[in-house]
Amino acid sequence: MTRGLTAAGVHVPRFRIESSTIGEAWGVDHASGIERKALPAADEDAVTMAISAARDALDRGNANAADLSFVGLATTTPPLAEEELAPRVVRALGGASDARTVTATASPLAGLDVLERAVGADGPALAIAADAPTGDPAEADHRLGAGAVAFLVDDDAPVTLVDSAAHSDEYPGVRYRERGSEEVDALGVTTYERDAVGESVAAVVSDLDVAEPAGAALHQPNGGLPHRAGGRTDIAGAAIERGTVVDRVGDAGAATVPLGLCAALASADADDATVAVDFGGGGGALGLAFAGGLDNAPSVDERLSGGELVSYDRYLRERGYVVDGEVAGGGAHVSLPSWRRSLDGRYRLVAGRCPSCGGLTFPAEGACGVCHDRGAFEHVELPREGVVDAVTVIGQGGAPPEFVPQQERDGPYAVAIVRFTHSGEEVTIPMQLTDCDPETVAVGDDVRATIRRVYADEGIPRYGSKATPI
Amino acid sequence: MREAYVIGAGQSPFGSYPDETYRSLFETAYERALDSVDGDFDPDRIDEAFLGTLGVGGRQIGLSGPAVTEHIGQHGIPTTRVENACAASGYAMRNAVSAVKSGMADLVLAGGYEVMTDTSADQTKWWLGVSGETEWERLSGTTFAGVYAQMASAYLDEYDATPEDLSRVAVKNHANGAENPNAHLGFTCSLEDATAAPAVADPLTLYHCCPTTDGASAALVASEEVARELSDVPVRVAASGAASGAVGLFQRDSLTSVPATVTAAERAYDQAGIEAGDVDFAEVHDCFAIAELMAYEDLGLCDRGEAPRLLREGVTDPDGDLPVNTSGGLKSKGHPIGATGTGQVVEAFEQLRGHGHVQVDGAERGLTHNVGGSGGGVTVHVFERGFGGGSA
Repeated sequence: MTRGLTAAGVHVPRFRIESSTIGEAWGVDHASGIERKALPAADEDAVTMAISAARDALDRGNANAADLSFVGLATTTPPLAEEELAPRVVRALGGASDARTVTATASPLAGLDVLERAVGADGPALAIAADAPTGDPAEADHRLGAGAVAFLVDDDAPVTLVDSAAHSDEYPGVRYRERGSEEVDALGVTTYERDAVGESVAAVVSDLDVAEPAGAALHQPNGGLPHRAGGRTDIAGAAIERGTVVDRVGDAGAATVPLGLCAALASADADDATVAVDFGGGGGALGLAFAGGLDNAPSVDERLSGGELVSYDRYLRERGYVVDGEVAGGGAHVSLPSWRRSLDGRYRLVAGRCPSCGGLTFPAEGACGVCHDRGAFEHVELPREGVVDAVTVIGQGGAPPEFVPQQERDGPYAVAIVRFTHSGEEVTIPMQLTDCDPETVAVGDDVRATIRRVYADEGIPRYGSKATPI
Repeated sequence: MREAYVIGAGQSPFGSYPDETYRSLFETAYERALDSVDGDFDPDRIDEAFLGTLGVGGRQIGLSGPAVTEHIGQHGIPTTRVENACAASGYAMRNAVSAVKSGMADLVLAGGYEVMTDTSADQTKWWLGVSGETEWERLSGTTFAGVYAQMASAYLDEYDATPEDLSRVAVKNHANGAENPNAHLGFTCSLEDATAAPAVADPLTLYHCCPTTDGASAALVASEEVARELSDVPVRVAASGAASGAVGLFQRDSLTSVPATVTAAERAYDQAGIEAGDVDFAEVHDCFAIAELMAYEDLGLCDRGEAPRLLREGVTDPDGDLPVNTSGGLKSKGHPIGATGTGQVVEAFEQLRGHGHVQVDGAERGLTHNVGGSGGGVTVHVFERGFGGGSA
């Protein structure tokens, strides 16, 4: 039995900014070797990016979320500092309640850690790394990007894990975040930091039972470090090049090296070896060695070359650096127990089919919206593609208070009534549009449901479906 | 059942009066309603009160109705506060009519009040979203402007209608409101003003939206016996039609119609024994311009898709065949949520007694149309001048 990676999925936020744009704003850019990077939209975070990448991986692997026995989520930027977030991802995907979950958050090492655990699990497993670190806008922020990658792990895989190695020594201050802070930082003791990373990466590589890897995704907080660290090993520069993505996505925390791994595996042949080595700050390092190439994977290069470039002022708004996020006047309150009742509708568009007339009702509660009978609904999952029946744009001043912080960050948004068809029956759902120019959405447009952050109530982020134009 | 008559009706000025309270505003409306009664009238004869309010601002969420009737000296009478969003006092009116028709009461005070402009901008936005469907519709990011804008987008897509047609509602209603000393926005506007105004929620501009308003209104509903005693020209309540509908727009069959209006109107016409649109004037719920267009069609004043033609041809102008919103409507007169339904009754009362600020010639029968939220609750009342012979 050859257990390993069977498919991968990727999510890179649509917004990108060039380091030169940041450099123009500050007079200097602290993004060495980074040409451009991705930034999450105002309604994206580690959870939404994880769900998107996971769906991509499941689709490519032709796998069913309900069969997953393990789901690991790695992120250094969990929307809540303490709380298991993987169960949210499992619920959003429609996974089974007996799936083992782990949420790993301490450092970028979490990405390779959950991947190794997924390989160690039994049955179909999912390892997701999704991250969007933030830092001091004057310096650390310049290189910090965002992205997500999910690996589907199963038996009879084209890519197998052949070895893993770790290294541990005390190297504090290289990459850290103070308790209660949202800013990733480094002390900036240059030689000390380079030695910490270089020694750790070299030690792991020398322990890995692999010769002349064709691809290598090495710890990459900037464009230069993977080559500098790789110089202490016998890995070829071209191999490091194949596993380096930081130059186009930025330092995406726990997701950077897994994204590089995905890029390298997608271009690897069946007899190629590929390594991934990350450094966790503090002195921990972990390396995984794989054999084989992965066809069921998106082109990371393609994902990193697209996107929509933004100006620096738009960047500051979108990231929330200049918006306090306070909901003035109070927001709409839906209690958490009520919200939880509605999760299947919010995540998977589960509607009710009336036993009397066959008509569809959304949400699947109460009397039938068509014939008004009160029978027990049959629950059906709507297709995720629908058609806009009515749409408007909510401009400045028009948003309810709970959407004001999002609007301050992301600007006006479109809100539509979207019609979904299932087995010849139609039902409509009110949906906010995302990832689009709101002015371009018109009646009759095709849209697809995607899961984004809706709002936060009583400090708890709430997620649900929004729509994006197809 | 017995007949019910309006023997008096009055409103406070509608506008921005942050120094007033819901009680002081209602006191003004009440005094004006008392003053409008023809005969020598002892207010102690009022048996009961039904008062509508949404309660914007949360100033007296519980028991604001009794707080009002105690304030105006109606000590001890049973008072019911009615909440059906913007149709609160349309339903208060209906309750008052029911009480008289059933014989439970001979003289009932119906009314409504709302104070909206003493609240912070953020608080106001919060309150303007409380009557939409909360768990799905509001959490897609809309308040009412957004929901009505969605209807407008669907209407413009489905029919031969343009944003200028929406603006025609504003031009007409402002022209009427400019003659009404009680109007909140008593100025005229041009088609260009209305169309070029800043967008609130595309395709609705600022002039396609009613203001937030402070105000109160009151009507005295009496049995025939009391009406004969106290009124020279009473106004008969020929019908009180009402219907509920799904609170969320997405839960309805049509995005270009308010089904509850269709049903409430059918019930009202049936009660009054008249054909659809067989009235001399109408006060319709034009909270947003698109709402007036849909009201024409839902009330049966014209066929589907014909509302723009009525506006373009001036049919609903004061000198047209069927004047609509001679008071200025919600657009110009203002929309103090809980006061709007009985505010429309005030206009119908004055029109049928020949005292309209913009008087419709020979007005014998009129209707009022009051919508809660985007269509979750609707009342349609039909009023006729004088004593009727029939028994509905």
